[in-house]
Amino acid sequence: MIPLSWYLVVAAALFFLGVYGVLARRNAVAMLMAVELMLNAVNINIVAFWRYVSPEEPLGVAWVLFVLTVAAAEAAVGLALVISVYRSRDSVVAEELDSLKY
Amino acid sequence: MDKETLELMTWLIPVGPLLSFFLITLFAKHNKTLSAAIAWAAVFTSLGLGWLVSFNVIGLQVEDMQNGTHELRKNPVVIADSEAWLPFQPEIENWLNMGVAVDPLTAVMLFMVPFAVTMIFIYSVGYHNYGKPNGTHLGTPNHGKQEPLFSRFFAFMSLFAAGMLTLVVADNLLLAFMGWEIMGLCSYLLIGFWYAREYDPDPKNAQKLPPRRASIKAFMTTRAGDVFMLLGIVGFYKLFGTLTFADALSAGSLIAAAGTEYSMYGMTFDGATWMGVLGILIFIGTVGKSAQWPLHVWLPNAMEGPTPVSAVIHAAAMVSAGVYVVIRIFPLLAVGMEASGNVSLIIGGIGAFTALMAATIAVAQDDVKGVLAYSTISQLGFMIAALGIGAYIAAAFHLITHAFFKALLFLGSGSIIHGMEHGAEHVHDHHTDPQDMMNMGGLKDKMPVTFWTFVVGGFALSGFPFVTAGFWSKDEILADAYYQISHGHGVIPLLSTAIFWMLAAAALLTAFYTMRQIALTFFGEPRTPLAEHAHESNGYMIWPLRGLAFFAITAGFVGIPETFPVLGQIFNYNFFHHFVGETIYETMKVLYAEGLVAHDIITLPFQPFPVSISIGVALGGLGLGWLVYGVRPLKEGQADPLVRVLGPIHTFLRNKWYWDEIYSFFIIKPVVWFSEYFVYEVVDRGVIDTILHVVAKVFYAIGQFLKRTEEIVFGDAVDWVKDMFLVMAKEVRILQSGRIQEYAGLTLAFTFLLTLLILYVLPILMQYLQ
Amino acid sequence: MDDLTTENLLLNFLIYFPLLAGFVVLLLPSEEKNLIRRLSLIFSLVPMVPVLMLWFAYDRVDAGMQFQMMMPWFETIGANYHIGVDGVSLAMMLLTAILTPLAILASFNVEERPRVFMFLFLVLQTAMFGLFASLDLIIFFIFWEFGLVPMYFLIKFWGGKDRDYASFKFFIYTMAGSLGLLLSIQVMGLSMGTFDIPELMRLWPNAEPTLPVVGLDTGTVKMLAYFAFLIAFAIKIPVWPFHTWLPDAHTQAPTAGSMILAGVLLKLGAYGFLRLVVPLFPAWAYQTAGLLATLGMLSVVLGGFAAYGQWDFKRLVAYSSINHMGFVVLGIAVYAYVYGYAFANQGMVPGEQLTGDAILATSGAVLQMFNHGLSAAAMFFMVGVIYERAHTRDLKKFGGIWAVMPMFGALLIFASMASLGLPGLNGFVSEFMIVRGVFGAGFLIQIGLSMIGLLMTGAYILKGIGEVLHGPLKPEWKDLTDMTLREHLVMWPLMILILSLGVWPRWLLAIINDTVSHWF
Repeated sequence: MIPLSWYLVVAAALFFLGVYGVLARRNAVAMLMAVELMLNAVNINIVAFWRYVSPEEPLGVAWVLFVLTVAAAEAAVGLALVISVYRSRDSVVAEELDSLKY
Repeated sequence: MDKETLELMTWLIPVGPLLSFFLITLFAKHNKTLSAAIAWAAVFTSLGLGWLVSFNVIGLQVEDMQNGTHELRKNPVVIADSEAWLPFQPEIENWLNMGVAVDPLTAVMLFMVPFAVTMIFIYSVGYHNYGKPNGTHLGTPNHGKQEPLFSRFFAFMSLFAAGMLTLVVADNLLLAFMGWEIMGLCSYLLIGFWYAREYDPDPKNAQKLPPRRASIKAFMTTRAGDVFMLLGIVGFYKLFGTLTFADALSAGSLIAAAGTEYSMYGMTFDGATWMGVLGILIFIGTVGKSAQWPLHVWLPNAMEGPTPVSAVIHAAAMVSAGVYVVIRIFPLLAVGMEASGNVSLIIGGIGAFTALMAATIAVAQDDVKGVLAYSTISQLGFMIAALGIGAYIAAAFHLITHAFFKALLFLGSGSIIHGMEHGAEHVHDHHTDPQDMMNMGGLKDKMPVTFWTFVVGGFALSGFPFVTAGFWSKDEILADAYYQISHGHGVIPLLSTAIFWMLAAAALLTAFYTMRQIALTFFGEPRTPLAEHAHESNGYMIWPLRGLAFFAITAGFVGIPETFPVLGQIFNYNFFHHFVGETIYETMKVLYAEGLVAHDIITLPFQPFPVSISIGVALGGLGLGWLVYGVRPLKEGQADPLVRVLGPIHTFLRNKWYWDEIYSFFIIKPVVWFSEYFVYEVVDRGVIDTILHVVAKVFYAIGQFLKRTEEIVFGDAVDWVKDMFLVMAKEVRILQSGRIQEYAGLTLAFTFLLTLLILYVLPILMQYLQ
Repeated sequence: MDDLTTENLLLNFLIYFPLLAGFVVLLLPSEEKNLIRRLSLIFSLVPMVPVLMLWFAYDRVDAGMQFQMMMPWFETIGANYHIGVDGVSLAMMLLTAILTPLAILASFNVEERPRVFMFLFLVLQTAMFGLFASLDLIIFFIFWEFGLVPMYFLIKFWGGKDRDYASFKFFIYTMAGSLGLLLSIQVMGLSMGTFDIPELMRLWPNAEPTLPVVGLDTGTVKMLAYFAFLIAFAIKIPVWPFHTWLPDAHTQAPTAGSMILAGVLLKLGAYGFLRLVVPLFPAWAYQTAGLLATLGMLSVVLGGFAAYGQWDFKRLVAYSSINHMGFVVLGIAVYAYVYGYAFANQGMVPGEQLTGDAILATSGAVLQMFNHGLSAAAMFFMVGVIYERAHTRDLKKFGGIWAVMPMFGALLIFASMASLGLPGLNGFVSEFMIVRGVFGAGFLIQIGLSMIGLLMTGAYILKGIGEVLHGPLKPEWKDLTDMTLREHLVMWPLMILILSLGVWPRWLLAIINDTVSHWF
């Protein structure tokens, strides 16, 4: 059986890919996709820990289902926001959306 | 008739007019015919019920007379029915009851009041020119046109009648007071009926108050008496524990109350003296309502109302109500009078003084209603003076006869004015005063019915011997006064002497000014075109005159003393004296036996002296008047011969002894000054508000001081801290870039730092702490 | 509290419904003015139902505090949520339930922010109901202050041209009184461990509280507390010389505000006297009964004179309130005298006669509160009607208006006569009872002098009628229109009640009298 650490390594890699994406990409849609990556990395972690630590009750799976649902909702809301920003500003570049500056 | 029916009928007597008031105001105010019909229906119902009840009681006396028994005297309250009105715990059974009661005194009032009121209602329809084209002036007289506020007039009159009838049938002082005050309101509304009337600033009219001011004067003057009366009523209630006449003024209750001692503010009264005080308090109400000096000033101004109003207020109803209430509480007064001679002195003195003073004023008046107004004050003074010496039956008798002939005279004068106004319409003269007798003359042939009835009324007022009602009632008062000179004790003989001679002098003047009035109005040649073109009033107006004239003569025949020579034998029974006397006969007998009153009810022996005086002053006064005014009637523009004879005294009398001016200077102006300036400007605005403002200013100053202190002491320190924060904030605000990725990066960095902290630094720290 | 009865729920519903309704009104769109007005009217009418249900459920044989409800509320200081009603509070609640809808109906013509206006009225209704029901000093104080705020805003935002001065004076003056009240309440509550009014009525008169920190002995503490209570409520009534805020407040307040201010809010002061001042300080009340009667007399007399001295119609009516409330104070003086008799005379009971007089005077005072509520509301409304048309209240400028507004004239005379105390209308009954009670209890000089005030009542009432209605019609008023249907609808309920109380006062007086005689 594959040891737990392998899963963790994969998840960590995926997570940092996501982090890189959020910090580095300029397009807001791409940033959203990166956030999805981070969430999925967490999901992998949860499932792995469930399987290896306490497989008796399906708690981990249930949690993951919640995370997936929330992620889907977040993506929907996020995309809607991006679209409305695009409509009003003709741009989805995150750096240009700085109206909250001091 | 059985008891229940009679009780119900008594209850219903005031209900009709009351209902009429509400019906007219709520539903019929736009329909003049309907209004008059409702009002008529109401008063005729009251008249029918009132007479039925009255005759039922009178019937008992007739039975007594025929059988020679005295059943009525044992049980004078023939009809009595009451309802609990106010719930007073803790003594539930002793609730304040409201009810009706009929005894002989009520019965005679029930004979007179509804009749007089009915006559006046009939008359009013004609007076307001029913059926003529509608007038257009709201709130001012519409000569020769139908009164536009016709319905309102009948509504007020109905309410007035309801008030008076309530007072008459009331079995307790409070209900009587309610009727009393409702009449006060109605007199206010009716005197001010022509509320928009304004007199031109002609110097001749300078003294004339417009109706709206006259109404206020009437209401306020009577109210000045009423507030004392209210005190008297509550004292009465406190003393007897009930307001019902029959209970409170029974012999037992009076004896018990007279025996009790009262102490207040360190003074001790016995009950009898206290009764005298209460009697005087209630009497002050009468002074206001019956227009006695010093509260008589409102009545002459009350002439500003339409003439039917004058007839109701000054004859049948309101002014009689005052005397009626005093007669009602007479046992209380009698006990008080015996306890203290001052009670007699006050009542008798006020009555006699008023009678004489008003008679002197009436001599010098030119206004046809003005003469009658002062004559009314004077005649009421007769009644009050009679009460002051305990002659309450004589007072009641004069009250009834006076009501008939004075209502007749007022309605007659209204008819005269109406005729004169007709003349004014005819010649288009709206400046000559149609009420001034100097503008009249020669109306005898133009208004024959008015003339004859007016003469009947005038002779009754003068006390023309033997045939008129006024003679018998006035004679009885004089006879009583004369009798008391020799038979009374304490202050009574002196008082009676004064009253006798003052009333005799007043009676002489009465006959004189009556003849003056008749001569100036009806005899000689017309002195103005108005009188030239006057003509007789319509049927609505002259039939009531005939009806009242009938009673102005016959009402006296029920009260001829048995002891009177010839006539006494013919009639053989002083019906009025016996009948009204039964009301409190037993009570007075018991009180007399207890020594609480001076005398019980007595039948006077025949006294030739007062009778001859009474005949003498009546004939003498009339004769003198005829000599001055009748033999050589006044010509147009000729001055009153009295002016030459009396000189400055005439001016004094003409100006009514200057009472109005005195009151205006000593009471009204100070009150206005006190209210507008002292209480409001000085006390409220000045003293109290200034104190408040000073307090507010002091607190404001303290606040200002604290504010400055803070600014100086704390302000700078706080500013420094604030500035420092500002500087720091400017350094740090670069972080607030608005770029999401920079935020995310920072978050990541700090998360990393935090993780390091928790994993590596914290354990070391914890270890060190332990 | 274990189980709540239906009546408890009704009572709570009664108190809080108007508040909830007020918030509902606030949620309505502001441009729907008619909807706001009509809905507020309906909402304000709703409490009439529970009031009448309580009225008929009230056990008149027992006649004590009923439908009581006690819930722990602020346990650390011993304050409970304790409410209940007796005959007197029921009468006052009935008055509130009658006057609030009429005031709202009277203000249908308010065009400026009607939503907030109606909200304030509904809040005010809650405050009044709550105050009349509260049986705990803290609750009482909360509702007391709670009633102040809406009235302040009503004068401040919908008032006349001097509204800032008037509202400020009203607010600060009443607050100043409340301050002493609050301190005294705290002294009482802390030294007795409870704020419960029935408990305090039992304990406090015989208690010997001291204030150790400032070193005050029992006598001083009680005296200070008594006068703090006295002044707080005397300002509210208002008793001369604490009255000068009233004419200003009334003159500037909107019509409906005046109706409620004179109709109900002034009664809060008198109610405080009946419920708190006298029962809590019987010995002091006994000693100062003569002073109270004298102040009442001065209110009657000087109020009457001051009213007669006015040329502003509304100010005249405002001063008439002082004149009429003076009679209430006279009645309360007798209540104080007889209630405190036993406490001040080592348990000697007053005679049966004296007790009877006190019951009469106190019942009369409560009835006078009710009656003045009706007639003052009617008078202020009539002033409002003419002000709205003529835009002046200066009596010198009016004249002859009866000719163009006959119905207005008739109704004004009716309302004036009720105010004047004409027999057959309501004011007379209560004035008669008070005069009778005060006379019987021996305050002869005070009652005798107050008759001058009664005389002046006539003078100022007739001045008002005479200057407005009578005289030749001035040309500037010839186009005035008579009263509208809405205005009639405000007046008729008042007039019917006024007449019914004058002719047959038993329907109201019986329940008051049962409770009042239970007090002695």
